[in-house]
Amino acid sequence: MNSKLTPRFLIIGLVLTWAIWAIWPTIQYQGLSDVELESLREEGKLEQLESRTIKQGLDLKGGMYIVLEVDIPTLLENLAENMDGKFNQSVSSVRDQLRVSPEADSFNLFSNVANEKNLKLSRYYFDYGSSNEEILSALGEEAEDAINRVLEILQNRVDQFGVAEPTIQKQGNQRIIVELAGVQDSERARALLESTALLEFYIVKDVTTTNELMIKIDQVLKGDESIAAVTKEIATQTSDETSTEDDGTVSVSDLFGESDDAAATDSAFVGQDIFAERPFSAMLRDLGNTIGVPAKNVYAVRKMLETPEVQDKMASVGGAFLFSHKPQDYPTVDGDVESIYSLYLLEDQAELTGGVVEEAKANLGPQGSTSAGQPIVNLSMNSDGARKWAIVTGSNVGRQVAIVLDNKVHMAPNIREKIAGGGTLIEGFASIDEAKDIAIVLRAGALPAPVDIIEERTVGPSLGADSVRRGTQSVMIGLAIVLVFMLVYYRISGSIADFALIWNIVMVLAVLASLQATLTLPGIAGLILTVGMSIDANVIIFERIREELRKGKTPKAAVDGGYDRALTTIIDANVTTLIASLVLWQFGTGPIKGFATVLFWGILISMFTAIFVTRTIFNSFTSRKGMTKLSI
Amino acid sequence: MRIIKETHIDFMRQRKLALILSAVVILSGIGSLVVNGGPKLSIDFKGGTLVSVQYTGAMNVENVRSALSDVNVDGQTFDFSREEIKHFGSDDAVLVRVPHIEGAPENFAQKIVDHLYAAFPGSVPESKTDFILGKGTVTPKIGSELSGKAVMAIISALGLILLYISVRFEFRFALGAIAALTHDVLITLGIFSLFGYEISLPIIAAFLTIVGYSLNDTIVIFDRIRENIKSSKRESYVGVVNRSMNESLSRTIVTSLTTFMVVLVLWLFGGEVIHNFALAMIIGVIVGTYSSIYIASPIVIHLHENANK
Repeated sequence: MNSKLTPRFLIIGLVLTWAIWAIWPTIQYQGLSDVELESLREEGKLEQLESRTIKQGLDLKGGMYIVLEVDIPTLLENLAENMDGKFNQSVSSVRDQLRVSPEADSFNLFSNVANEKNLKLSRYYFDYGSSNEEILSALGEEAEDAINRVLEILQNRVDQFGVAEPTIQKQGNQRIIVELAGVQDSERARALLESTALLEFYIVKDVTTTNELMIKIDQVLKGDESIAAVTKEIATQTSDETSTEDDGTVSVSDLFGESDDAAATDSAFVGQDIFAERPFSAMLRDLGNTIGVPAKNVYAVRKMLETPEVQDKMASVGGAFLFSHKPQDYPTVDGDVESIYSLYLLEDQAELTGGVVEEAKANLGPQGSTSAGQPIVNLSMNSDGARKWAIVTGSNVGRQVAIVLDNKVHMAPNIREKIAGGGTLIEGFASIDEAKDIAIVLRAGALPAPVDIIEERTVGPSLGADSVRRGTQSVMIGLAIVLVFMLVYYRISGSIADFALIWNIVMVLAVLASLQATLTLPGIAGLILTVGMSIDANVIIFERIREELRKGKTPKAAVDGGYDRALTTIIDANVTTLIASLVLWQFGTGPIKGFATVLFWGILISMFTAIFVTRTIFNSFTSRKGMTKLSI
Repeated sequence: MRIIKETHIDFMRQRKLALILSAVVILSGIGSLVVNGGPKLSIDFKGGTLVSVQYTGAMNVENVRSALSDVNVDGQTFDFSREEIKHFGSDDAVLVRVPHIEGAPENFAQKIVDHLYAAFPGSVPESKTDFILGKGTVTPKIGSELSGKAVMAIISALGLILLYISVRFEFRFALGAIAALTHDVLITLGIFSLFGYEISLPIIAAFLTIVGYSLNDTIVIFDRIRENIKSSKRESYVGVVNRSMNESLSRTIVTSLTTFMVVLVLWLFGGEVIHNFALAMIIGVIVGTYSSIYIASPIVIHLHENANK
């Protein structure tokens, strides 16, 4: 062997050793059975191994991908004090604008609206500065602080939820991306993440006030022209023709002129006569001491409660209606079962909030109590909370107190006696899992601002497995075809190209493993494209060498000439693709980023391979004495 | 083995014909885009909900359609029978796509899945986990941001590439290359529109890969032209271009063939999720090879002739 080549072989050998070292954990990991994985987990060695393997993306192993966004307008409201009509108008104007152009920056919009309406922000945010600019920048910092706290709290919740390798990261300054591998139960995961965990205790208004308010609401809605028009129209319709609607029902969509054509017109039915007289209470059921709303009427009742007239009436008695968090089944007159939500009229100020909660534990209700065997959550409060709780319960004996989580009433027990010591239990959970999740969110604390799920994707495990199988299969087939083709077309030189190709794939995987990158389906596609790019570099070189040989040069001169002349071509051709892959990487989220990463490294490595590795191998051939013919 | 022996094809004589051919294909694609009101964008860009589910036996799409005509979610009733409902890969998998609905109920995708599960109790797997292939909901907010980013990505990629080629070659080469890859993307976009395939996030990645591939191919030929111009002062410009193409033809064919085979395998065996990605790549490889010869170089010749008048 030529001694000049030795350092080059040394470099190749070192790189190869590194690649095998980098890729080894992944191979090892793939070969492990579930039992072995479990025993490694117990020994605590699994994490160490996993940190050096190529991870499979959610599209390959199944799981949930969720993007959450902090609701900035609500945060602005939460931070504000002395809110008045003008302020509320401004915030709802920001919300409206966000609906039209969702990509706009909430703070810019708020600042514009404030200037337009001549809103003095110092009135509402006197703690944050004096001029509007000062306040806005302070609020911006507050928002950033809020998102960091949200991140921390979500991290806490997910950790307690028990998912292997969850990923929670901030994106931009309003968003959080959560990836939960293997999780399929989107109901639970969503509830866990989206829950603001705002726990509040309200006193329920007495029956007399509630009844009076309902009568007032009936009157308001009865007087409503749009409702009167609809009832009249339906009356004429039924008398004119025997249509399918002649059972004398009124639909909510008719009432509210539902423009959404996907929401069909038969969401709620009530008797027409009763409806004309008492539009609101006709939607409700009497459940003894509480008001019931049949599930099919919930949408209608919500719509009614949202009308400004009804809002005014509620404000005039200082109360607000809230629904129970889930329906209960009641038998109907004709033997069926109807699922009915409860509706509570609460005082509009909370007596106590969840900030006082020190510890929350899910349990089954103790024997002998009303909640025996039912899932419950035990709360204990700090001393301040316990003191307040004692005062609240003490001064309201005989009344109902509603325990409200995220604006849904979980339970509204009667206060029998003053509760000292701050211990309280919440019941009304569907399962112990739900109780556990609620306990988790209560322990982790309330989010400083509500978050919305703006994107959610779930890949089922079977589709993921199918993708892995097919992806691997197509890489193998594609690779085999190319390897055979090169061998047939370029003979021994082709085998050098084949070696280079396999080397390339090993190197790309090694880089991915050491970057702890995630391999996604587009990533596999990128790998296949790398195969194409790597072959191209060799083809360019080989064709040049053939040309040189045709000119009658010796093998050595032909190889040297071929490589020299192919070099600029390869660099120019690959750099442009490199630019495209970098732009993709910059632009990309999730799958695209995975594709771009693989493509980027694939091109870089294939350039190195074509220029350095195969050259060295060729040179070791041509430097031998007596080499007269090159198999190409 | 050698597929291509020494050739002397006068590629540039066919350039008018090629131009007409390209124009026809591009115009019919653009025509289809205009008729359809732009490309068919996936939920990635428009927002909406997409669910795909796996039944245990073949499922008639019409049955699913009628099952979805009356979906009750939390007291609201929806009619999805007019939405896009089709098979997903095989006869027993079904995909449903619903546009974004303002004020849609919580966890909407799951509710649709639940409905599809309950509607055909006889032909669903026991566990719901096996039933769901995939589901997703994207709000228009994310979608409009992505569209903006995609446009930015394409513009910045083109700008950077233009700059690189101008520095390494000449400005007219850069224009030729940009024209060729615009040509390729337009044709692929047009074919997608003609067949009614949707443009999703991975398809954008495929487009940018086509851009990369087409450029790669174009630059190899440009490189040969650059080299040959230096060495032969007497030969006509068209002559040099033709000779360069013939000299690099062998490489062009071999590379296109191998890349084509690889993406063909991906298309045939890669599975439903990357099916359309692979299709875009197949079109891209064919069109990319063609455009390096018949679009990029003729433009360089044209610009050269104009400059020398």
